[in-house]
Amino acid sequence: LGHGSGGILTNKLLESGVFKLLSNDLLDEKHDGAVFNASGKMAFSTDSYVISPIFFPGGNIGELAVNGTVNDLSMCGAIPAYLSLSFIIEEGLSMKDFWQILVSIKFACERAGVQIVTGDTKVVEKGKGDKIFINTSGIGTVHPKAEIHIKRLEVGDKIIVSGNIATHGMAIMSVREGLEFESTILSDTCPLNHTIKSLLDEFGTDIHLLRDPTRGGVATVLNEIARDSKTGINIHQKAIPVIEEVASACELLGLDPLYVANEGVFLAIVKADIADSFLHSLKKLDFGKDAAIIGEVVAEHQGQVILTSKIGGKRVVNMLVGEQLPRIC
Amino acid sequence: MEIDTYIAEQTFQIHLEGIVQGVGFRPFVYQLAREFGFQGWVNNTKKGVQICVNADAESIQDFYETLLKNIPKNAFVTASSVELVEREVFQDFEIKQSAHEGKTNILLTPDLAICQDCRSEIHLMTDKRANYAFTTCSHCGPRYSIIQALPYDRQSTSMGTFEMCPNCKKEYQNPSNRRFFAQTNTCPDCAVEMRVFENNSAITLAQNEIIPWLVERINAGKIIAIKGIGGYLLMGDANNLKVVEKLRVRKFRPSKPFALMFPTIDELEKVAEIQEDEQALLTSSAAPIVLLKLKKGNDSFEAIAPNLKHIGVMLPYSPLFEILSQQFGKALIATSGNISHSPIVFKDQKALEDLAEIADIIVTNNREILVPQDDSVIRFTKNNRQKIIHRRARGFAPNYFYGSFNTHKINTLAMGASLKSTFAWQTEQNLYVSQYLGDLESFDTQNNFQQCLEHFEKVLEVQPQIVLIDQHQAYFSSILGLQMAQEKSIPVVIIQHHKAHFAAVLAENNLLDTTEKVLGIIWDGTGFGEDGNIWGGEFMFYHAGNFERQAHFAYFEAILGDKMPREPRISALSLSHTLPEVEQYLKPKFTEKEYELYKKILKQNQLKTSSIGRLFDGVASILSIIDKVSYEGEAAILLEEMALDYLENHDFDFKEFYSVKIIQNQVQTTDLLQGIIEDIKAKKSVGFIAVKFHFSLVKIIKNIATQSKIQHLAFSGGVFQNALLVDMIIDHCAEKFKLHFHQQLSPNDECISFGQLAYFSLINN
Ligand SMILES: [Fe+3]
Ligand SMILES: [Mg+2]
Ligand SMILES: [Zn+2]
Ligand SMILES: [Zn+2]
Repeated sequence: LGHGSGGILTNKLLESGVFKLLSNDLLDEKHDGAVFNASGKMAFSTDSYVISPIFFPGGNIGELAVNGTVNDLSMCGAIPAYLSLSFIIEEGLSMKDFWQILVSIKFACERAGVQIVTGDTKVVEKGKGDKIFINTSGIGTVHPKAEIHIKRLEVGDKIIVSGNIATHGMAIMSVREGLEFESTILSDTCPLNHTIKSLLDEFGTDIHLLRDPTRGGVATVLNEIARDSKTGINIHQKAIPVIEEVASACELLGLDPLYVANEGVFLAIVKADIADSFLHSLKKLDFGKDAAIIGEVVAEHQGQVILTSKIGGKRVVNMLVGEQLPRIC
Repeated sequence: MEIDTYIAEQTFQIHLEGIVQGVGFRPFVYQLAREFGFQGWVNNTKKGVQICVNADAESIQDFYETLLKNIPKNAFVTASSVELVEREVFQDFEIKQSAHEGKTNILLTPDLAICQDCRSEIHLMTDKRANYAFTTCSHCGPRYSIIQALPYDRQSTSMGTFEMCPNCKKEYQNPSNRRFFAQTNTCPDCAVEMRVFENNSAITLAQNEIIPWLVERINAGKIIAIKGIGGYLLMGDANNLKVVEKLRVRKFRPSKPFALMFPTIDELEKVAEIQEDEQALLTSSAAPIVLLKLKKGNDSFEAIAPNLKHIGVMLPYSPLFEILSQQFGKALIATSGNISHSPIVFKDQKALEDLAEIADIIVTNNREILVPQDDSVIRFTKNNRQKIIHRRARGFAPNYFYGSFNTHKINTLAMGASLKSTFAWQTEQNLYVSQYLGDLESFDTQNNFQQCLEHFEKVLEVQPQIVLIDQHQAYFSSILGLQMAQEKSIPVVIIQHHKAHFAAVLAENNLLDTTEKVLGIIWDGTGFGEDGNIWGGEFMFYHAGNFERQAHFAYFEAILGDKMPREPRISALSLSHTLPEVEQYLKPKFTEKEYELYKKILKQNQLKTSSIGRLFDGVASILSIIDKVSYEGEAAILLEEMALDYLENHDFDFKEFYSVKIIQNQVQTTDLLQGIIEDIKAKKSVGFIAVKFHFSLVKIIKNIATQSKIQHLAFSGGVFQNALLVDMIIDHCAEKFKLHFHQQLSPNDECISFGQLAYFSLINN
């Protein structure tokens, strides 16, 4: 983009290309905004994506931006329908890269079954951005059976993770600083909305809470949950699914997979008596085959997440404060 | 009041403070008063012991002096006074009910190992306490571990629920009996009872059948978890390799040494060398674990302490262990009953839950432990017999014989550090340093720490008015300290780790008030520094209440968080990756991937360290002694052992060292490491290089001390648990300098809480 990569492109030119590629009835109307009918309880979410590198094993910033907002809506128990899409592009981004991102966005939308209905593109001077920033916002109707709220947590509830953790974060890490691992770890970015919908169809209000443990990983999200719900959370190291390459990559870097970012993974906190059948169903759905029950909500140690290690010791899983300083004397 | 010269007999009151309760003090006073023909009374108060007698001016003086000269064996008087009070007439001499009013101010009596008299009794088959596992008297038995409140009376301990049988009551009331006023007194007729569980189910056995049965099971290779004084111990046949291996697997403890319990000194002498000071300590009422050197050619305990020539040993310190040990007749493994990295288990329910996977058999008893304590661990250096405390717990804690920092009389709570946690209190009168409470990384340890703190507050009826914490804000102790301060709306003071170390060793040697300059050599693994880096190789000045970082080991990269201390090879890489020719020694320690990756990380890294702990790690790894440790300090311990072994076999005055530059107050490690690599290339033995490395450190200390023209050198930090290093320092520096080491406390982070109090006393003055 910009000089040296195919002449000067204005925002206008760009937008027309974007419009063409992502074409749908609402977008094609080219209003200042999208106009559509809606009824019932709605969910609305927004997120900005500033990831580096913008291309990583298993995906790129484009599909991440779509899946991210789709998943955030899903975690509210909503069925995502429409997305807005905004780019802030740093001068110098190659046209090829941009189109690749766009194509990914298009496929990600199709996969999730959502439409981009409004958008915007800005180009900033070199040095004022980092290749490309994307913002997506999304709107969707809340599933009629969904009743998802932190206040619904009960002592005894089971905590289920939908798949292997830390995969996305380690995929990013592997390319960010040029740290290649033995075998390539692919990001697991994916849309979780279909899976969530099926689970809500089947289990409805017995699902008390859904969260996607993105930045800060499972540890951070569980800490937020424990803090906000004023309950205690127990998790069991043995039960937490991590693929071997990811585990050894974490070991290599002295990282705890619990703190590493995820994308295609969600945490569900469900009523104890349906936990097994929930797990059973989830395992048969898309992106759920590695799901596992990893812990439970308890009355003790309010606000704290306690991990039972493989050898049976108990460790407090803290909210990560700043960088990890060595502690051993 | 003036002394009334017309009345020969007047009334005097004597007050005694210190360790004066639970040591047979009242019976002792009773006997003495009777001998003097005095009328009056004695009682326990929340401050100590109070005596009131009718006497004339001359005989009271005699009585007072005799009293202080002959106090019971385990007593310790810190303050005493005699005064004339209003005249009262007494009919006889009695032990009065304890007084519960007033402010608590007393040292807590630690648990006392079984005394000789009780030991003889349980082995005398005609005695009613023959083989009775909970035999005690007023000179021995549990004290601190069972205390609930003060003053010390049966009702304020976990013995309160046991009713004495008529016979025991008689002993208790008989002034001429050893059990006169012995609060822990029981016998088989009013017994503390054991219960036995094998594979999670209760076994029905008569009380007197239990120990013989256990002996049989131990002989059959079983591991037992048995409730002792401060918690559960895991025990098994130390000579059975299969048992040792089984315990290692079940405890996830691949190489960390186990302590052993020997039935007698004689048995112990067969395998280990014992010096007089060591024997005195082993047989003292504190009865700690003492690290002894194995006799040459003895490798029967290789699996107990892999690659080590020193083992931790103790003698049976409770009647239960005495009987078990005697009947078994050989060395028993005696290691803390816990899941690795978790605190010692001391509640029966928890033992049944947590220890069932480790022990085949669990033995509980109904005398409740209220204060958990591990066994203390102590070592003497070989040449200079300098005592080094490795762990201070049962038998010593929580008293600290110092008196008080002369500050304003405010209750100050110091929270200590993290890996070797302790807390310390400065109350209005006394100073207490808690027992070692374990690694605060563990949730159970955190709970224990908090509970011990609360228990302490309850027993001593004390509330903090100010809280002191370490500068490392992620330490649980710091977080808890902040939280307590917030809840109570009291101030918090943050104290840098190495300054706390320094203040601790200064205070232990009464140097806080000195007008002379002191050079602190503060070497450890990790402490958060004022510049945001990880300190650990520090030279500090102390002068007139001020601390100043004077010099330090040159920074190297601190990478990969807690992985670095777990893997000495990473320290090796960090310390020497810029040196030529080092690659051939380092590269084989890593996979290709790791090597490339870590070199890249080293280049991008921000966090620096001056840690001597990591320097020891790095040297151990370069020498291919160890690349990954399975317990804290393993690399340094092995390096020391290799060096000791070399010196043992090469009896000469060792003079070789690596010359080290000091540029702008930074000790350059590159020359040292380069020298080591030259020696490796020259095919010098590992032992030789290990000694040379130790000696180089002594040279560095000597150089800096000489340059700074300071007479007093004080040493603190976990590195000074290294007995060889301490010996060498004394050998080479004692002539020119005045050396100061820790006295009652460990040089490791157990001393941080005390150091925080000491530091605070300075800035608060
Ligand atoms: Fe330290
Ligand atoms: Mg998000
Ligand atoms: Zn006794
Ligand atoms: Zn009795």
